[in-house]
Amino acid sequence: AVLKKRLVKLVVNFLFYFRTDEAEPIGALLLEHCRITKEEENVFSISFIEEPERKYCFECASEEQCQEWVEALKRASYEFLRRSLIFYRNEIQKMTGKDPLEQYGISEEARFQLGTHQQ
Amino acid sequence: MKLNERSLAFYATCDSPADNSGFLYKRGERHTAYHRRWFVLKGNMLFYFEERESREPVGVIVLEGCNVELCDSAEGFAFAIRFSGAKSRTYVLAAESQAAMESWVKSLSRASFDYMRLVVRELEKQLEEMRWGPAGGGGGSREPPGSWKPKQCPERLPALPAVLPKENGCAVWNNALGVGQPPDTSGCGGNDDEGTPRPPPLPPRRRVLNGEAAVESPSTFCQLHERYSREVARLRQDWLEKWRVPRP
Repeated sequence: AVLKKRLVKLVVNFLFYFRTDEAEPIGALLLEHCRITKEEENVFSISFIEEPERKYCFECASEEQCQEWVEALKRASYEFLRRSLIFYRNEIQKMTGKDPLEQYGISEEARFQLGTHQQ
Repeated sequence: MKLNERSLAFYATCDSPADNSGFLYKRGERHTAYHRRWFVLKGNMLFYFEERESREPVGVIVLEGCNVELCDSAEGFAFAIRFSGAKSRTYVLAAESQAAMESWVKSLSRASFDYMRLVVRELEKQLEEMRWGPAGGGGGSREPPGSWKPKQCPERLPALPAVLPKENGCAVWNNALGVGQPPDTSGCGGNDDEGTPRPPPLPPRRRVLNGEAAVESPSTFCQLHERYSREVARLRQDWLEKWRVPRP
């Protein structure tokens, strides 16, 4: 496989990639249900749950940059953010006895609920 | 622009719960006729299918940087998702009842990643304040509820929670929180200003039993997790031993 130099931008749960001299991205990866794996030195890969053998590989300029990206990408999904929210909500509720989302009027929102729920 | 469409389609159709779903009428782009479509909201993505049983969505609207508003006439329970920017379009949708319209407007206007991130940062801040006291020492200023100002990402953002699924983003939806889960990434060493590691807090259960005020020494989530998992291991051990003892 040929390595091509790309400008890569993480915006919310999308990883955009650009040719280095262009303003419009050539493509984007939605970062949900994906696995970020540290590969060999300076390299990480992104693979998706429905096609795990297909890896999008990225080579970084340094090991440090590689680690930074792996950390950032692991936290990039909406689902990860949702779990964080539920976790914090739960922690605060345990400590204070109060649901911190109540004062924002969003405690009944389906997306913040713990446990399975029917559509 | 290329997109990993297969992954998008998977996200749309996998069995993770949707944040909202139902039939809506969608006004066409070129012709203003409305088409009835099955809509599924997951995270910040609004997918729509030709039929409820369709295996793949026919389209998706990414709900970032948009405004959700009622249509002027509000006739036929119509509302719009409006994007700013020169080339962007407005999506006009119509529900089948007042209640459905209100439910959709509410869930769509809170669907963005940005909104979720704001809420998470706010809760993180609350949690930090509970552990280390309000910023600045005395009665730190609190934003009034409902005023979401974008906040700068703090330098020393505590590690996000240790509760993680087996595969990134593949939620074990029935989330048993807090204890016994392996920590995520290793980069969560939290130290106080002097650089010495903070002691883990007492688990909340014990605090309540002892009647102590909910003041705990600062900690990182990794340490918290460590502490909880040791307690769980201990409790489990006790429980197992209890059942080995013959009952009277």
